[in-house]
Amino acid sequence: MEQTKKYIEKFLLQNNIPITSNKETLFNDFASNEDMISTVKIIQENQKKMLDKWRLKNRIDDILQQVIMLPNATVNKVYEAKIEFIKLNWNDVIFSEFEGLEEIGLQYDNNEDLIFGTPTASGDIKVKFLFRVDGEKEDSVLNEKTITLIINPDPKSLWKNKESDITDPHWKEDDVAVSGSFLDKKIVVASKRGRSHANVGSFRDDDFAYKNYEKNGWSVVAVSDGAGSATLSRKGAQLACELVVSYFEENFLSDKLEDFDEVIAAHYQESTAETTKKISHFVYKQLSAAAYHVHKELEKLATQTETVLKDYHATLIFALVKKYDFGYTVLTFGVGDCPIGLLSKDMSEINLMNWLDVGEFGGGTRFITMKDIFQNEKFTTRFGFKLVEDFSYLMLMTDGIYDPKFVVEANLEKIEKWKEFVDDLKGNNEDKLSVDFETSEEGIEEQLSEWMDFWNPGNHDDRTLAIIY
Amino acid sequence: MRRLPVYLLLDTSGSMSGEPIEAVKNGVQIMISSLRQNPQAIETAFLSVITFDSTAQQIIPLTDLASFQMVDIKATGVTALGEALKLVSTKIDTEVAKTTTEQKGDWKPLVFIMTDGIPTDDWEKGLQEFQKRKTAFTVACAAGNGADSKILKQITENVVSLDTADSASIGKFFQWVTASIGVSSTKVEDSGKEVTGFDELPDPPSELNIVV
Repeated sequence: MEQTKKYIEKFLLQNNIPITSNKETLFNDFASNEDMISTVKIIQENQKKMLDKWRLKNRIDDILQQVIMLPNATVNKVYEAKIEFIKLNWNDVIFSEFEGLEEIGLQYDNNEDLIFGTPTASGDIKVKFLFRVDGEKEDSVLNEKTITLIINPDPKSLWKNKESDITDPHWKEDDVAVSGSFLDKKIVVASKRGRSHANVGSFRDDDFAYKNYEKNGWSVVAVSDGAGSATLSRKGAQLACELVVSYFEENFLSDKLEDFDEVIAAHYQESTAETTKKISHFVYKQLSAAAYHVHKELEKLATQTETVLKDYHATLIFALVKKYDFGYTVLTFGVGDCPIGLLSKDMSEINLMNWLDVGEFGGGTRFITMKDIFQNEKFTTRFGFKLVEDFSYLMLMTDGIYDPKFVVEANLEKIEKWKEFVDDLKGNNEDKLSVDFETSEEGIEEQLSEWMDFWNPGNHDDRTLAIIY
Repeated sequence: MRRLPVYLLLDTSGSMSGEPIEAVKNGVQIMISSLRQNPQAIETAFLSVITFDSTAQQIIPLTDLASFQMVDIKATGVTALGEALKLVSTKIDTEVAKTTTEQKGDWKPLVFIMTDGIPTDDWEKGLQEFQKRKTAFTVACAAGNGADSKILKQITENVVSLDTADSASIGKFFQWVTASIGVSSTKVEDSGKEVTGFDELPDPPSELNIVV
């Protein structure tokens, strides 16, 4: 009664009709009338309905306006994103589902409020978030909010694999893998064109060569990395390796070597200042002559073909190894940023046979094609010598392997890092690819070649790895 | 992995409101989508956005392209370019990794500045800080005739100007920034060398005037 009265009084006042004292009785009768009471009731009910409707609409609009960011996804990479209803202040969302997720390989778990799955398509994908808020009828049409989900392409799919031009005079195979014997041990080598080259259809710049010399009992292995910026570096790298092999074939003859064998035997018995000096002298003399021969031959080629020597820029590392009945002698030379590592039989020690030419700024490497390396005071330090009873692995690699696997030069001196590297080769890696050094007689080169396809962001250079085991 | 840091310094002062600010937002969006299709860029390029109006603010810290999400920007206030230069300097110190014997540091950052007005703060002080940092290169863009390319020339030798700050011109600028980031990331990945100067970048489109 009182409520009805107050309501009508307020309503009349809104219409500028105040109830003066002389009209009070009349108004009291009017407001107590059954008809008026029910009219006010209906009006109030309708107003409440209107209010509720507006509140609902307003609430839905708030949700529609709210910015919601889903973390970006990537094709072929497991994705999971929780819709944080509480954080979003969406406690009144009583039902929700997504439309458009299945097409891109995703699903929505209604109970866990989770979008999950492995995306199959990339792009700025518009998905529909369908929802109902508290207060809406159970059979009402669901509200629709569009949310953009960014799906990155699988980085692997972005790299093209363009064939290199087979008609080029200096063409070479994109991928090579070989295995064989090396002294009484085995050797496996793989050399692959990097993705950065495959992406534009250019050539593999890396190269390698090895040989067992029957007549003198020595074996040699060489690895070279042609400079990316030099136009004929693939040829430079190939020739550098071949020239090392042919040089020792022609110039490493037994008459020179007998004395050395004696020195080595003496050195094994007792290492003295004299034996050390003699060995150093021999290593320097023989290996520097080989390195200089490579340089001169490349220079000759450049002159003959009216090209310039720097077009053939290539790094060069090589190891000459001989088996004696008391152990192995390893002689090395290196210019550039490719390491030679000799791992002890029990894997407790690593001998990094050479230091790397790594400039303060990227690109500070040196090449066999640079005359100044022979004149530089550091030239004498480019040689390595080691006499060991046995070893587990002797490895030569280009920076395409060393950069992703060792990252920095300092790691090449750490045995833990080499152990990790060997474990990686034996299958401790993302792709579960392994190189079976124990039993594989045949097919080990394919194993190494496949292993060498490992994915490492930012490292898509040519890769060459030679392992003597 | 060595990252290629990219800093975008964007003028969000009041004069940018309307078409220019929308064009900037759109330009960044298109740039990101396009760089995501570039195999080298998506792996190496990391992007940060610093806006400057009455103050400078890093609205997006250095983020890889794959997780990058552009946030909304609004144009208001004056042009604190000096503060932006100071801010990018401290961010380079904290966000860009240096090379040590134990780790390979990041590549030197690329810095792109875009402004449509004259700095309203002590920009020379900010510049002094900025000049102490090493960048691969810095490019400044004077958008429209309200900007003073002479001031920008003191910040970097690489200055381009747009005749008008309309959406077509701003769009072209971002297209060229996209191409420049693409070229830089390809170069560091393929040859291990940084782009060091303007002449190694793609030719700017005709809408961009090179200020000499």
